[in-house]
Amino acid sequence: MKKKSKLERREHTAGLLMISPSLIYFLVFFLLPIGVCLYAGFTNWNMLSPNRVFVGFRNFVELFNDEKFWKALVNTLYMLIPIPIYLTISLLFAYACHKNVPGEKVFRTIYYLPYISSIVALVLIWQWLFNSEFGLVNNFLSTFGIEGPNWLNDPVWTKRMIVIMISWKHIGFISIYYIAALNSIPKPCYEAAQIDGASPIQQFFRITIPLITPTTFFLVTMGIIGSLQTFVEPQLFAPDGGRGYGVATVIFYIWQKAFDSSQMGYACATAVVFGILIMLMTILQFRLSKKWVYGGE
Amino acid sequence: MKKKLLPIVLCVALLLSVFSLAGCQKADDNDVADGPTGDVSDNGGDDAGQDTPEPVNISFMGWGNDAEVATFQAMIDQYEERYGNVEVEYIVVPNTEFDTKLQAMIGAGEQPDAFYCGVDYLMKYASTDNLYDMTDYIADNDIFDPGNVWDCAINLYRYDGQNMQQGQVYAVPKDVSVFPIVYNKDLFAEAGVTPPTEDAPWDWNDYVAAAKKLTSGEGDSKIYGSGAYSLESAVWSNGADWLDETLTEVTVDDPAFVEALQWVADLRLVEGVAPTVAESDSLSDYDRFKQGKLAMVGSGTWSFADFWENCDFEWDVMNWPVSPNTGETAIWFGSAGLAVAATTEHPEEACNLVSFLAFNEEAQRTSYTTGMSFPLLKDMAQDEYMEMDKAPESKDVLFDILNDNARLATQSKTFNQEWFAEFNANVPAVFNGETTAEEFCTSIKDTLQELLDKSIELKAEYAGS
Repeated sequence: MKKKSKLERREHTAGLLMISPSLIYFLVFFLLPIGVCLYAGFTNWNMLSPNRVFVGFRNFVELFNDEKFWKALVNTLYMLIPIPIYLTISLLFAYACHKNVPGEKVFRTIYYLPYISSIVALVLIWQWLFNSEFGLVNNFLSTFGIEGPNWLNDPVWTKRMIVIMISWKHIGFISIYYIAALNSIPKPCYEAAQIDGASPIQQFFRITIPLITPTTFFLVTMGIIGSLQTFVEPQLFAPDGGRGYGVATVIFYIWQKAFDSSQMGYACATAVVFGILIMLMTILQFRLSKKWVYGGE
Repeated sequence: MKKKLLPIVLCVALLLSVFSLAGCQKADDNDVADGPTGDVSDNGGDDAGQDTPEPVNISFMGWGNDAEVATFQAMIDQYEERYGNVEVEYIVVPNTEFDTKLQAMIGAGEQPDAFYCGVDYLMKYASTDNLYDMTDYIADNDIFDPGNVWDCAINLYRYDGQNMQQGQVYAVPKDVSVFPIVYNKDLFAEAGVTPPTEDAPWDWNDYVAAAKKLTSGEGDSKIYGSGAYSLESAVWSNGADWLDETLTEVTVDDPAFVEALQWVADLRLVEGVAPTVAESDSLSDYDRFKQGKLAMVGSGTWSFADFWENCDFEWDVMNWPVSPNTGETAIWFGSAGLAVAATTEHPEEACNLVSFLAFNEEAQRTSYTTGMSFPLLKDMAQDEYMEMDKAPESKDVLFDILNDNARLATQSKTFNQEWFAEFNANVPAVFNGETTAEEFCTSIKDTLQELLDKSIELKAEYAGS
């Protein structure tokens, strides 16, 4: 065993001290709650009563047999649809904007606003925009002779509306990532391609897109993790989960079970199962990344 | 030495800031609204015969729109004046988050001393020993006379370990609301419809006939005779119910239930006297009524303030029509209560507070004159309220309903309401005409039964005994 010199040990201690705040924060606010949640999933913890009894796998068995959970899972997977939509639109938008367009900074600010606006305020506005009788959207559609659907109460259309809302919200925010990525592509690549006779479109597909795949990979992974946890929009648009439980997502289901039904232990079990699912999807992402990400590990 | 000092100081500073930020978060959650008389706590007010000069702090948590919060704040100030040594921390939480927040606080052992308790939640909290038993206090206190309060209101908050409405009292009603049919007198006069009276009540057929006369117009100028009819009224009037008397069996496939459900749906689908589901979704029946485009709508006494301010037509109330099959009528009534936490350190002060807020005359007067509710005190209701010179004119209808026809909603009597939520989430299919009442009830009965059984199991598990 290599004996550490005094200097090394001192540097080690200093290093540990430096990261101790973050480490302690992580332990107390992330690891500990996750541990408690894992344990609670095996109990029948109810918020109201102090009796907490170990019940083994009962919660998990009940979970797999609950039709509502599977419906919620399907709805949650539906929430992945915005990702390709907003990635494409953001990329096109960033491409149009990244070359020192006049007023670029102003545009960036305006398009970033939806992402940082209060979700509740946005939902209130969208509820009126999409009102089936008086909303602007259906009025606009009717000028083309299209009869707008019942956005707010037909669960199929409510989900589509949420997808539109989430895509819209992310465009400005994601564009910023792409603008940075686009600006980091070395100019010589384009120049070389031009010399070889590549058209702008070929340049876009053969140079631009492959070279920004690291950013795309990051955005897709984070996007999946985030989208799977959609909760606020379904809860605000359809507080009862929508007709036939057609709008509820898994996090919504967990919240309902935890607080409406007071079954905290069961909710923890669901959270654990869902967490593992997200983790598996992320691991899959990383494995696949070798195939399509430029310079990936 | 100096080189090492800086990083160490930085680390300590970071650590401190992390933990103090965590502390800040908790305080931000409470919207504390201390009354202006909060500092006048030590003038030894002994009017109520209390002999405890040492200051007491109790917390009280509730919800409400601005008007209600302001009313309650005024009442709390009055309470603090009367009981000089008590200081009340009034925490306001939005209605939709209230139950979540309360449960989280209970889980953390930090529940407020007194808090709103909806009647739907009473069993849940009482059976898990979270509510203070107020029976003895009510029988012997100096704030109100239990004989002067509507029995049905106090009974709502009784629970004997098995069933609601009997046993010990766990909360006091903060208001009771009656749910009559409100109708537009001007539209009635125009269409030549005479409203029902106590001696000449309507039955369902009379109701439909009247609604047909009241329905007119097309498109933007369409006026509907009726709003969505209360399913509870139809079902109960027809002698049926969602559950049987023991609350263990789902009875939605009872022919009387199916008939009632189909009748309510047909008001929209066949008779065309009520707005379609899509129309109600985009503009609620309640708003349509206020705009004068709907002649009869079920609405509670809490909405009177809104009607006084926003209706530019004459309106009045009527009782719910009887079922032609039974000659009976029924309707639900609502209430929110004020409860005291079982673990409170100041039960006397907390009980005094909730009783004061619920029953003191000034508070009741403020409440009904601002159109928020119906007086809880019988004498006030029968004298002052009847003489109040504001709509509705037929206040006696409200008394009749409260005395004869009002029932606690069935779903409030079960441990949780999941079975009812399932029914409600899916019943629009009947109102849309997608399925008949009979098909719907037969197909959903088993699911509801499962959910009901689950809630009974949960109750057994959590309520211990």
